[in-house]
Amino acid sequence: MAATDIAAAERVERLERLWAEPHGLWTFLTTVDHKKIGKRYLVTAFAFFVLAGAEALTMRTQLAQPGERLVGPKEFNQLFSMHGITMIFLFVTPMLSGFGNYFVPLMIGARDMAFPRMNALSYWIFLGAGFFMYSSFLFQLAPNDGWFNYVPLSDSVFTPERNIDFYNLGLLFLTISTTAGAVNFIVTILRMRAPGMSINRMPLFCWALLATSLSVIFALPALSAANIMLELQRKFGFHFFDVKKGGDPLLWQHLFWIFGHPDVYIIFLPAIGIVSTIIPTFSRRPVVAYTWVALATMSTGFIGFGVWVHHMFATGLPQVTMIFYSAASMLITIPSGVQVFAWTATVLTGRPVLRTPMLYVLGFIVVFVVGGVTGVMFAAIPFDQQVTDSYFVVAHFHYVLFGGAVFPIFAAIHYWFPKITGRMMSERLGVVGFWIFFVGFNLTFFPMHISGLLGMPRRVWTYEHGLGWDVYNLLSTIGAFTLALGILLVVVNVLLSLSGGPLAGPDPWGANTLEWATTSPPPDYNFPVVPTVRSANPNWDPADRLEDERRLREGSYVLDDGHETPATTVLDADVDRVLAMPSESPWPFALALALTIFFTLFLVAHFVFAAISSVLIFAALLGWHATEPQQS
Amino acid sequence: MTEQAIVVVREEPRPNGWWGMLLLIATEASLFGTLIATYFYLRFETVAWPPDGIAEPKLLRPLVLTAILVFTSVPMWVAVQAARLGRRGLLWANLLAALAIGALYLWFQADLLRKNALLFTPRTDAYGSIYYTLQVAHAAHVFAGLLLNAWLLSKIWRRVTVCRLFGVQAVALYWHFVNALAVVVVLTILSPSL
Repeated sequence: MAATDIAAAERVERLERLWAEPHGLWTFLTTVDHKKIGKRYLVTAFAFFVLAGAEALTMRTQLAQPGERLVGPKEFNQLFSMHGITMIFLFVTPMLSGFGNYFVPLMIGARDMAFPRMNALSYWIFLGAGFFMYSSFLFQLAPNDGWFNYVPLSDSVFTPERNIDFYNLGLLFLTISTTAGAVNFIVTILRMRAPGMSINRMPLFCWALLATSLSVIFALPALSAANIMLELQRKFGFHFFDVKKGGDPLLWQHLFWIFGHPDVYIIFLPAIGIVSTIIPTFSRRPVVAYTWVALATMSTGFIGFGVWVHHMFATGLPQVTMIFYSAASMLITIPSGVQVFAWTATVLTGRPVLRTPMLYVLGFIVVFVVGGVTGVMFAAIPFDQQVTDSYFVVAHFHYVLFGGAVFPIFAAIHYWFPKITGRMMSERLGVVGFWIFFVGFNLTFFPMHISGLLGMPRRVWTYEHGLGWDVYNLLSTIGAFTLALGILLVVVNVLLSLSGGPLAGPDPWGANTLEWATTSPPPDYNFPVVPTVRSANPNWDPADRLEDERRLREGSYVLDDGHETPATTVLDADVDRVLAMPSESPWPFALALALTIFFTLFLVAHFVFAAISSVLIFAALLGWHATEPQQS
Repeated sequence: MTEQAIVVVREEPRPNGWWGMLLLIATEASLFGTLIATYFYLRFETVAWPPDGIAEPKLLRPLVLTAILVFTSVPMWVAVQAARLGRRGLLWANLLAALAIGALYLWFQADLLRKNALLFTPRTDAYGSIYYTLQVAHAAHVFAGLLLNAWLLSKIWRRVTVCRLFGVQAVALYWHFVNALAVVVVLTILSPSL
């Protein structure tokens, strides 16, 4: 017995040596550890959230009472455009990618993502594209035509300055990151699961990221094509959207929303994956109707591609077209409904424990149902045509997006903080923070339903007294600052708990997924052995966790010969090969830097220099591929 | 039936790089789907297509060129088999053949576009815009294939490793995709004359 224990300790020590990364600036730039990259995603995305929040508070202050002059119309246009762009592209998507990066490999019992260096690349490009877009504020040239950037307003006739070039090029740049991340998630989820985790035992969070990533693969090209066409029109005189020369402005709207509506699900699906993860833990039972929830997740992603025209009901399209999309928009409520019922049934038939993460999740269900109900109202064409472009729409999409994504993100912050840092957050501060957050949210956005029905159009920079909107706007502004206070409390809680929180131990919540089967924070190699999986709730199978210990003592599935992790088959998760994973590499950073230089030169219209700088991109790619895994 | 009694028959599983390439292809296919949808969207908004007295595209040369490009899938396929069998000479020769024919195709394609540009340009009208955007996007993908191919040739100069075999498989997959795309793009471009 003692001898095998010593052997086990030696194996762990060998893994430590193999996977350890030295400290220092060089490692900072070259690391490919999915946990470090995941943390970076979380911190960076949260910084963008703070910026978007500052923009929102400025707008709410401006709208607090009629006739305010805090900012002018030009600044206001930039504020609401950048608020939307930031929340959607620079906060929610990367934040959820951050959780995905950190937790997908842990949940499936892998030691890294399928393409670790590409993972680092995704992060560096996200950072570069974020800086790229925000640098526009330095020149007071931030995108100013809304996050959906309709032509003809955004063409070079009506917006001759570089605002929209920042938008087009910034989004094209960012798309590389998002697409690479999606490829990485799909291959990781399909190919890197621990042996035994067949596809019908996969955590629902992974199902959600799979559906999201597939949506990214098929939806983002429509945005990229639209960005390219608009940039060609702005810089080189092409005519895609120019009526006089046979183009059509509605083409932009179609392309944008072919991307834009699936993007709603790209934002929302990972968030409900978080919900499906947290609910079983705090209901002390497996999720009800696992298969139905998984299928509903996938079909939401799929049907999401068939509803884009409901963003265009007021553009004079043929009635038949609109009815088709109206029906499709009603259809998509079915999978959402299935999930809401499955969650509710899980809570009702379980023994719910109301800790902070669960509060955010329950808050999410309430808020999301409200947003869902107004969503069904929009699917009715006549209603949509009445309230389109009013504050009712603003209320609706904040209920579904802030409610549907930010509530789950805050749930996830409280839920996974112990795993990432090894310490618990303060429960009391968490609960107080939640209630301020919840009240603040509803106080901000519920009155917008009313001001919208009273006719207040969205995107106005100010309004006159006597239209009956004053009190609702004031309430919204008070709500916005209340919400900000709630968020501040969460940040304070995080900062205090980082060093002062009580130690969490490996599994403070008694959860069912594999990330809780290792220490908090996890070691560089994630698991000392490839975990045993024989059910959809592997961490609730104590026999399998004992089996892990036996494996470590016997030296099977330890993979301590190199930087290794197993690859398994797509459906059954049978072992198929052992992969030698790459370690630190400077090339992802170099490539992202080269791309930043390329896009910057393109932005300032030095096309020749941009072409020359593409040599740097190729050089970085060659350097990247110069080293190969030493396989025979 | 016990688990041991089940006989598992399956193909050799694909490496992760192959999956990555497949997904890149999926997203590229969507990009071209969007461009082709744009072509027909603009077309159905207009009475005359091509508009503004632009002549209908001529059929013969583009079709012959496309046929030649599609033919390069044969040496690419042989190259994969050769890599699998470890026959470096055969692999190298076939990659080089595909590269040479692809380069030739690109040369003639550029010539075709240059001649067209004397008649109409992307700035003439929306037809010209989408015509050249589709053609150049396609040519850029052929060019990317040529670069990948040249890079493979330099890599396997000395030795074929498992990693490089995966590289050959992934590049070949991309190559076949670009060739299939060529057919769709050329049929779209030529559709006014078909």
